[in-house]
Amino acid sequence: MSIMGGLSAEEYDRSYSDWQLVRRIAAYFRPHLGKVALVAFMVTLTSFVATITPIIVSRGIDALGGSPQLQLLLAMAAAVTLLGALGWVFKFVQQRFSARAVGSVVLALREDAFRAVMRRDLSFYDQYASGRIVSRVTSDTQDFATVVTLTIDLLSQLVLVVVISIVMFIQNTQLALITLALGPVVVFIALLFRRLARRAMQQSQRAQATVNATIQETISGIAVAKNFRQEAAIYDDFKATNELAYKVQINRVAVFGSIFPLLNTVSGIGVAVIVYAGGLLAISQSISVGAWYLFVQSLTIFFYPITSIASFWSQFQQGLAASERVFALIDAEPQVVQTANEPVGRLRGELRFENVTFNYSTGRSAVLQDFSLNISAGETLAIVGHTGAGKSSLVKLMMRFYEFQSGRLLVDGRDIRALDLTVYRRQLGLVPQAPFLFSGSVADNIRYGRPEASDDDVAAAARQLGDGSWLDDLPNGIQTDVGERGARLSLGQRQLVALARVLLQNPAILLLDEATASIDPFTEAQVQVALATVLRGRTSVVIAHRLSTVRAADRIIVLRDGQIIEEGNHDGLLARGGHYAELYTTYFRHQSTEYQPWQELDAAQVQ
Amino acid sequence: MIRREFAVADEYPYDRRSPLRWLSAHILRYPALLITFLLTTIGMAVSQSMSAVTVGQAFDTVIRGAGLPALTTAALLVVAAYVGYGLFDIVNSMAIRVLAQRVERDTRDELYLSLLSKSQTFHGRQRVGDLMARVTNDVQQINQFVSPALGMTTESVLSLVIPLITIATLDLNLLLVPLVFLLCLTLALRQHNNNLRPVAGQLRANFGALNAGLAETITGIEVVKGFAQEAAEEARFRANARAYRDSFVREGDVTARYLPLLLYGIAVGLAFGHALFLFQRGVISVGQVITYMALVGTLRSPIRFLLMTSSIVQQSMASARRILEMILTETELDQNSAGIAKPMSGDIVFEAVGFSYGAVAQKDDANAPPVLSDISFHAKPGQTIAIVGQTGAGKSTLTKLLNRTFDVSTGRVRIDGIDVKDWSLDGLRAQMATIEQDIFLFSRTIAENIAFGAREPVTQAQIENAAREAQAHEFISAFPKGYETVIGERGVMLSGGQRQRIAIARAFLSDPRILVLDDSTSAIDSNTEDQIQRAMRRILKGRTTLLITHRLSQIRTADHILLMKNGRLIAQGAHNDLMAHSAAYRQIFALDDLLQRAKKEVI
Repeated sequence: MSIMGGLSAEEYDRSYSDWQLVRRIAAYFRPHLGKVALVAFMVTLTSFVATITPIIVSRGIDALGGSPQLQLLLAMAAAVTLLGALGWVFKFVQQRFSARAVGSVVLALREDAFRAVMRRDLSFYDQYASGRIVSRVTSDTQDFATVVTLTIDLLSQLVLVVVISIVMFIQNTQLALITLALGPVVVFIALLFRRLARRAMQQSQRAQATVNATIQETISGIAVAKNFRQEAAIYDDFKATNELAYKVQINRVAVFGSIFPLLNTVSGIGVAVIVYAGGLLAISQSISVGAWYLFVQSLTIFFYPITSIASFWSQFQQGLAASERVFALIDAEPQVVQTANEPVGRLRGELRFENVTFNYSTGRSAVLQDFSLNISAGETLAIVGHTGAGKSSLVKLMMRFYEFQSGRLLVDGRDIRALDLTVYRRQLGLVPQAPFLFSGSVADNIRYGRPEASDDDVAAAARQLGDGSWLDDLPNGIQTDVGERGARLSLGQRQLVALARVLLQNPAILLLDEATASIDPFTEAQVQVALATVLRGRTSVVIAHRLSTVRAADRIIVLRDGQIIEEGNHDGLLARGGHYAELYTTYFRHQSTEYQPWQELDAAQVQ
Repeated sequence: MIRREFAVADEYPYDRRSPLRWLSAHILRYPALLITFLLTTIGMAVSQSMSAVTVGQAFDTVIRGAGLPALTTAALLVVAAYVGYGLFDIVNSMAIRVLAQRVERDTRDELYLSLLSKSQTFHGRQRVGDLMARVTNDVQQINQFVSPALGMTTESVLSLVIPLITIATLDLNLLLVPLVFLLCLTLALRQHNNNLRPVAGQLRANFGALNAGLAETITGIEVVKGFAQEAAEEARFRANARAYRDSFVREGDVTARYLPLLLYGIAVGLAFGHALFLFQRGVISVGQVITYMALVGTLRSPIRFLLMTSSIVQQSMASARRILEMILTETELDQNSAGIAKPMSGDIVFEAVGFSYGAVAQKDDANAPPVLSDISFHAKPGQTIAIVGQTGAGKSTLTKLLNRTFDVSTGRVRIDGIDVKDWSLDGLRAQMATIEQDIFLFSRTIAENIAFGAREPVTQAQIENAAREAQAHEFISAFPKGYETVIGERGVMLSGGQRQRIAIARAFLSDPRILVLDDSTSAIDSNTEDQIQRAMRRILKGRTTLLITHRLSQIRTADHILLMKNGRLIAQGAHNDLMAHSAAYRQIFALDDLLQRAKKEVI
């Protein structure tokens, strides 16, 4: 699954020529040139050792024909032993240094990829699923590492094939040609298998995905089945799926189980051919018995790399594609670009949109068209409107998460594009609809925006919300572990943490996207009281979903299709009976404590 | 025998006394495959040795000066040995792989069946993700145990033994080097394993941390950028990436030090020396030297296999232990089929009820504090009881004591005056329905999902009727395929409000006396909310209902309200009583008040 996730193409993908890829990859290896050279040297030495050993053995066998001296034989045995040990040493050095080089290259690649991801503005994150971004930075770079290791392996085997071939030709051209002729046969079978395997693999992956989904469902469904006492029905479902999974796997097994026996048999027949042909030559004294032996041995050494190159080829291609994806990620350009880096002091909190036009990506219709709005310092502004009216776009532009296409956005009278973004953003307090918490304690999360804050400051910020009693409801108070993404806290509690986080940050401007989901009435009361504290004395822009919030705002703007269609306060707007009054009936009516939708129903039944 | 809620007739009896016996029982279920596998493995090892012998004999034939026909015969023998090996190999590899797939299928079936037979209590405690991991990963790991682990190990052992026997037939003296080599190999392998395991574990853990950390940063990117903490996140990522690199290098170092390879290299040299020595003494022929060297060569592949299999075997045993543990977990309830099963009227009484997971969990958190304590209330037939409290106050646990998802630790729950433990489980649950907060629908048609609630086959008319009652008919009919729309297919995604109404329709068909309704999520817009509230109003009618809700209007109109905090009932009564007597209750309704006050402070 993860492979499939990583493999799918993204819009920012581009293709690089092989040459470009090789140059990019080589650039990462340049700082480790010494290690790479050493590894290459060791690979060559290992190949020579692997070739020399059978040569010595064959000489030994030739020597047996005469009546050899014991010393000579022992010297040969000693040489083989020494070569065995040397081969190990070469491999040892090779692996140590290649691990170091590959490890460092992957590290550099990951750091570059991470920095590239951080440079992107939020349009990038909207467009691409987070899981896929993560897999590019971690898994794709990992695949790349596998390929490099694999390549080193393959290279060493290739060197071996070349050396062996040379030795064979020196010994006897005829036999060498016969041996080489077997190569294409093996390659052909391996390629054929690759096609079969790919099809079987695709089928099984596809079937397996359905099977997994059904199994997941039958497992999640156990509780429901038990509620309604329908165990037998759900078991039948499961059994059918399980049987299907089995059949799919058997198909795959049939393909994968036959390839290596087949290849082994082919190479076995090759051995027999060499035995026969070599035997003929040996009888006619064209070659020595030892040379004959050498050919039989070489054949096995010769076949191994060819089969493994054929079977690893797809992995190799995958790895190259992976590196291509990583480079595409690194090379993608961010859209938000600052024109200057002017210092920002403490903001007064005055915001002004002047004829701003904005769309999320070129080609899509404009979310804001020629939009103008003044927000004075210290004002609480509520934005209401249907989904898609442009409410959150306004907030995101103020955060400078996205680039707008024309017009100006002024902060205290200065162009937002010219500000030092880091300092600017630290003076903005953002509370999103579903607040994101990092794993760690409640205190860690409150401290997120000001890592240097003392424990007392953190506790004080938390206590400022309501009477602080929300902390007492947590099992470990402010030290409670929030779990992954805050999962151990309820939504209401997460909102309280997010509010405390903003309070500690003490921003000049507060941007709040209210939660739409309902929370229990106790926490709701706490959140509302907390909000009153947070809004106090700073410019606040609230995307309002709560009746209580719109009621309390200084000014409400009603947004439709990126235009302000009404403006005023709650009572005034409701009295006017226009767009706001209509919105009220659609979104806020059921939040009223007086809401009783079944009264008309009951009345209808009485009639 | 384990007590269980559900069983099928033709279940295969596996030996579950230990993970190893259990695995063996699964494998022994298919003796024909197993015997085929073993015989062909022997066949492979023998023909492999034979190929070495025949090659050696071919050399001797030529050296002796025998003619062309002898050489042809020798070459044909070589072909025969290799083709024989190939045939054995294919049958062998099919047999073990098919066996592995069957064992996987059977294990999954056995596990699933055992999950079905477990109590609601068990499922209430178990996270779905955890169960999924067992049913998919652990079960696949059992497959790996059979193939490649068991297959390769058997093959490796036999391809050590048979060549050794063959070497012995050449000359007993030749056994010296291979035996010493094998002894050292065993020690070296164990040593290597011990070195590698912690390093490999560390590497996996580091990769996990790298991934999880990055996933968190990216999911929380709005916060990261909003607070301008990019630099801090980069430092965190870099630390993780460096830790991974260091582990990667350490693993590379351990792999580089792979001693068995060195041992093998030395063994080949020594074996060669020994063979030459014996030849010179006139003990063996040139062909035998060649055969011997080829047989020593075959000792190389088991070295790699054994390394691979030992880690698989370890992981598989761990998986087997986890699966078996889950199968053997005692289920606390049985069907109690001899219990009472009469029509109920829906009178519910909680008498000083206390509950803690300690009683359920047996081992892990036996000392956990009580989730509920001292809960007493009475719901008369047809009444609606609203349960109000913060997340974690114990609201849904309380409702789960009713259908015996959990059993009380202290006190008693009675329905129509009868302790719930004395009802037959079937009779009890058939007359109750639960509509959860997260509604689970199967990927089947809408009609099938609604009919799921019915005990007997139902007609389309009945299904549509239920849907109408639940205010769901309108939106269902709006789908092109209407009631035959398959949920989840081709982007048919239902909104929360729609799912809720289908669940209500499902409950209508089961026509329960007692209804447990978790309504703590609310719709975004008022029209959907109107419809859901109307559907609820209809289904509540004439049934005793426990209603978990956050909605002030519902709370206000309930017959009776339970106000919960930290597992205790801090107040109960009708709205007006509570407004008069409970400060905590007033706090909920005083929100508007509070806000007005807060606003005045600003001014």
